[in-house]
Amino acid sequence: MSEIAIIVKNISKSFGKVQAVRDLSFEVKAGSCYGFLGPNGAGKTTMMKMLYGKCTLDNVNGSSVEVFGYNPVKEELAIKYLSGVVPQDNNLDDELDVIGNLMVYSRFYSLPRKVAKSRIDYLLDFMELTDKRKAKIKELSGGMQRRLVIARALMNNPKLLILDEPTTGLDPQVRHLIWDKLRQLKRQQTTILLTTHYMEEAFALCDTILIMDKGRGVMRGSPVELLEQNVEKYVLEITGSHTFDMITDSADVQAVRVDRSAETMRLYSDNEQHWKQLASQLEGAHYYLRQTNLEDVFLKATGRELNEKQ
Amino acid sequence: MKSNENFLYPPLWKRLHSVWFRHMRVYTKNIFSNGLPPFLEPLLFLAGIGLGLGKYITESMEGLAYIEFLGTGLLMTSAMFTASFECTFGPFIRLVFAKVYDGMLAAPLTANNLIIGEMIWAGTKGLFFSFAVLCVLSLFGIVSLPKCLLAPLVGFITGLMFSTLALLVTSFVKTINHFNFYFTGFISPMFFFSGVVFPVSNLPDYIRPLAELIPLTHSVRLARAVCTHHYPPHLLLDMLYIIAFILIIGYFAVKRLKKRLVY
Repeated sequence: MSEIAIIVKNISKSFGKVQAVRDLSFEVKAGSCYGFLGPNGAGKTTMMKMLYGKCTLDNVNGSSVEVFGYNPVKEELAIKYLSGVVPQDNNLDDELDVIGNLMVYSRFYSLPRKVAKSRIDYLLDFMELTDKRKAKIKELSGGMQRRLVIARALMNNPKLLILDEPTTGLDPQVRHLIWDKLRQLKRQQTTILLTTHYMEEAFALCDTILIMDKGRGVMRGSPVELLEQNVEKYVLEITGSHTFDMITDSADVQAVRVDRSAETMRLYSDNEQHWKQLASQLEGAHYYLRQTNLEDVFLKATGRELNEKQ
Repeated sequence: MKSNENFLYPPLWKRLHSVWFRHMRVYTKNIFSNGLPPFLEPLLFLAGIGLGLGKYITESMEGLAYIEFLGTGLLMTSAMFTASFECTFGPFIRLVFAKVYDGMLAAPLTANNLIIGEMIWAGTKGLFFSFAVLCVLSLFGIVSLPKCLLAPLVGFITGLMFSTLALLVTSFVKTINHFNFYFTGFISPMFFFSGVVFPVSNLPDYIRPLAELIPLTHSVRLARAVCTHHYPPHLLLDMLYIIAFILIIGYFAVKRLKKRLVY
């Protein structure tokens, strides 16, 4: 299936003097999972909100957004009808129980009562919340609340699922459960948009990743492409600033890419030969040789410095 | 790739109804703590007047015994207070703290739907609250059923009217404490200067135009007309005032609050 579900061209968004999104373009294939990585304040949430009309676009010539062929400025209702949204914060109605929350939400899609009930039964089962159907929201753990918000987003069987940091702050069990569910949805041809700070999450779920920084798209590609094209194969991590001096003058260090913070030094290279020689100079020091991962790509793309919003 | 499936997102009335339904479900969840006070409040008020203050006020007001005069006024103040609370603290919390609006706006609803649904709900609460007062009034024989049964309808319109103003105020408010200015500065004084406790005609000449400017005066006149079945022609002006108020203030409330929902 190679139809395009979302086409975004040159969109920008500023809040007063702050430019949250700058000249961003991307396309999402129907039935694929597209991930957005980026530091806090990179514009990921704003960009997602622009897709379903929760945020307006700056009026720039040549900018356009199409979601399933609909324009969020003029046809937000059609887009919202076809999409499910999991916002960053769990915004459930504390006054209502689990079923009550879902019943109220089913009305927004004007599902008939009977249809809503069976849909809710299915969703509770799908997100493994059936035991909690009568529970109050306050009695649910963070992971359960998150699963309930996801169930709510799936109410109308969406063709597009938008998830803003779906697993932040959750334990590994719940995270893996959510990943499994998202994979199932993907198999059923649901298009998934996802922001995350977990590199392994992006790696596990996304077909394409766009790394954003200061409102711009800075790198994109499949997880494997990103690794192959942007970072060396291996990284040697050395901790403890006092050991840095042992090797900084060595010719081998000059030959590799070095990324240094106060207490950690990372040496990147494709050439194993470098490590053997370096290791011989590092006797007694703390070091660790590993394969590079998306986090290394991320740090290379977005820099190590904190921005004013982080 | 425009979807060529035959789908229809819900029509306007269903969208408004779904917003109303959400508020109704949340409100009726605690039916006891939410539903009892509207009945108790007028009961206490009338007991205070009937047992105490009333016997000092022997003069009739606009042709009504004092307890009738006050009682018919209370029909509207209850609608005013509930709609004002509902559309100030309620939306502010749903917008800023609980972020309920974020969830609702992810469903097929526009910001306008949400705001107008909020107004209709406030009107409904106005209807319910004035109905509660009506129950108490008729229980004590202060007004007689069934001729007063139109009063809750006036309560609905009053609720609607005050919801527009409250939402307009909410669109300006940055911290929740600012609502205190609105309540102490505007809503509470209205209780005294709009012909609820004493007739507007008794006010000094230079204040009377002011009393005509504020919305509650017109609601109270309408409610009394309905309760006494006496419809003088100047009621048309009161009705015109209310309609214009709802349309104009409502327009600006939607326009301004929308900017806080979709930014």
